[in-house]
Amino acid sequence: MDESRPIFTQIAEQIENDIITGVMAEESQVPSINEIAVFYRINPATALKGVNLLVDDGAIYKKRGIGMFVASGARERLVQQRREQFPVDFIRPLIAEAMKLGITADQLTAMLTKEGTP
Amino acid sequence: MTTIIEVSNLTKNFGKLAAVDNVSFSIEENTICGLLGRNGAGKTTLMQLLTGQQFATSGDINVFGQSPVENASVLQNISFIKESQRYPEDFRAKHVFKSAPWFFANWDADFAERLIADFRLPLDRKIKKLSRGQLSSIGVIVGLASRAPLTFFDEPYLGLDAVARQIFYDRLLEDYAEHPRTIVLSTHLIDEVANLLEHVIVIDDGQIIIDETADELRGSATAVVGPSGAVDAFIGNREVLHRDGIGGLASVTIAGLTSTERADAAASGLELSPVSLQQLIIRRTNLTELGGNEKEIEARA
Amino acid sequence: MTTTTVHAPATPMRRILNIVRLHLANPWTTIILPWVILGIIFAGTLAVWALILSVASDTADARDGLQYSGSNFFIFVYMLVVAVQAISITFPFALGFGVTRRDFYLGSALTFVLLSAAYSVALTILSLIEEATNGWGIGAQMFTTFYFGETPAERLLVFFLAFLFFFFVGAAAASVWVRWKATGLVMFFIIIGLGLIGLVALIFFAQGWPAVGEFFATAGLVGSMLWSLVITAIAGVTGFFLMRRATPTA
Repeated sequence: MDESRPIFTQIAEQIENDIITGVMAEESQVPSINEIAVFYRINPATALKGVNLLVDDGAIYKKRGIGMFVASGARERLVQQRREQFPVDFIRPLIAEAMKLGITADQLTAMLTKEGTP
Repeated sequence: MTTIIEVSNLTKNFGKLAAVDNVSFSIEENTICGLLGRNGAGKTTLMQLLTGQQFATSGDINVFGQSPVENASVLQNISFIKESQRYPEDFRAKHVFKSAPWFFANWDADFAERLIADFRLPLDRKIKKLSRGQLSSIGVIVGLASRAPLTFFDEPYLGLDAVARQIFYDRLLEDYAEHPRTIVLSTHLIDEVANLLEHVIVIDDGQIIIDETADELRGSATAVVGPSGAVDAFIGNREVLHRDGIGGLASVTIAGLTSTERADAAASGLELSPVSLQQLIIRRTNLTELGGNEKEIEARA
Repeated sequence: MTTTTVHAPATPMRRILNIVRLHLANPWTTIILPWVILGIIFAGTLAVWALILSVASDTADARDGLQYSGSNFFIFVYMLVVAVQAISITFPFALGFGVTRRDFYLGSALTFVLLSAAYSVALTILSLIEEATNGWGIGAQMFTTFYFGETPAERLLVFFLAFLFFFFVGAAAASVWVRWKATGLVMFFIIIGLGLIGLVALIFFAQGWPAVGEFFATAGLVGSMLWSLVITAIAGVTGFFLMRRATPTA
């Protein structure tokens, strides 16, 4: 856990990651709040708050008395959101570091091509 | 949410010393609350007041809606585990676990047995002959297995090693998830318990200086590191919680940032480093101790 | 997921009995050890006496000596220590179990009364055995010494009153300790000492010694012992009020 941000947002991100990578398939059951709390060693109220972010977001839905499930279409939407956030979270810091080191845009592009074809 | 502890204008003087100085706060039912602060800050006295072990000099305490002082209907729902608990002469651990169920209606003997095995506690040895850590584990086991609706742990793990402490945190969390109850945990090992807490109360010099949810608190500060000029430009008029510097480099702790602000900071070549709950509490504790002095020094500098 | 239940208070009697059980949870201190010590003293005394009898030239004189044994007094002092520990050490422990001061003191007092009853019955039974065996075969008087009373009924009463006295005086002294620690205890003994000196001085100057002697002579052993109930009661009530305001760390 990263100390600087609220844990519940980090829990939500963890579950999002699991949905995006397919660890949690759509329409499959999400671990219970208590399971999440014990696994991540956090307060159950915090776990609930994190999960509720995803419920509000529509990525997870609750079935009364049964549990929580990944919504269909959740993966696609989450991927879309992450893509939109990608420049802010990753590109800008990358450029800032490159500028600090005097790496030009062309050099940067070359590096990106060299380092990996996704 | 039901309020289980309600304290208003509570003061406890020992002679001229105000161990608890006009404090007011409340604790909600079924939460894990951290009561944090330095040694001698007033944590133990506060817990003793909440459990009727000390008599208040002035102010009101309501626990389960009533005064706890000499009130059996309140007290028998409370388990209070102290750092240096004394046990009756010649008691062995087995005598403690034999007598505990007489006083705690929710006592779970199976759970106690599991914990005894977890902590490898010798039941037949005289308590006087146990190690510091084993002594602490008796308290921890009583506190967990009693499953009292309101449980106080006051620095419960003196002498427990890191492994044993982790067992304590894990069992506490598992059992709390299964059997929600109100837990007040006092400790100076803030980093270790930070993620377990839902509510944080920090007491310093008898006064409450922080009373917030753990999430609010965690998001409430960030350290901005970079060249002094750039840092100063970025922080502008924000309140500075703490300032460190070396050469032309500054590290300034300020209130929490939105994600846009974080991106701006990154764009201006500033590094944002996390402030742990422990660091944050140290910063805020120092701030109150130095009072106006620090600001004056800063203004002159 | 089951929320822990908040319980309605147990009946006052149940809570007080729980304190009795707590005091007796470890029978070693209150039941086993005193009998072990008493047994050793008993066996030791008998052995010495048997030895004396076997070597004494004047057996009548030696037999006279067998009628006075102070060794049984230890058990009363032992119970005073039990009371001191019960009040001073078990108190902070019981508070952690959510016990009120009132219940703790009443439960402790009940424990003392029950132990006094049990021990005085046991000592009386031993005195009966002593009588039946003609002083354990050698005319020894361990439990039938004259200062314990003439008849079994008297002995039962004297034992009982003596145990109560030592328990509650111990409890009162321990309560002073719990409330005011060493300072309080020193003050307590100074006050009691001064009181006793004052009393002696008063009797002396009023030339009241004959009257005092007469009082004890008229009251007799049992009567004098019954007067100890006054001190026991004062100690018991004092202990109660001191403990009602006691805190685990003073």
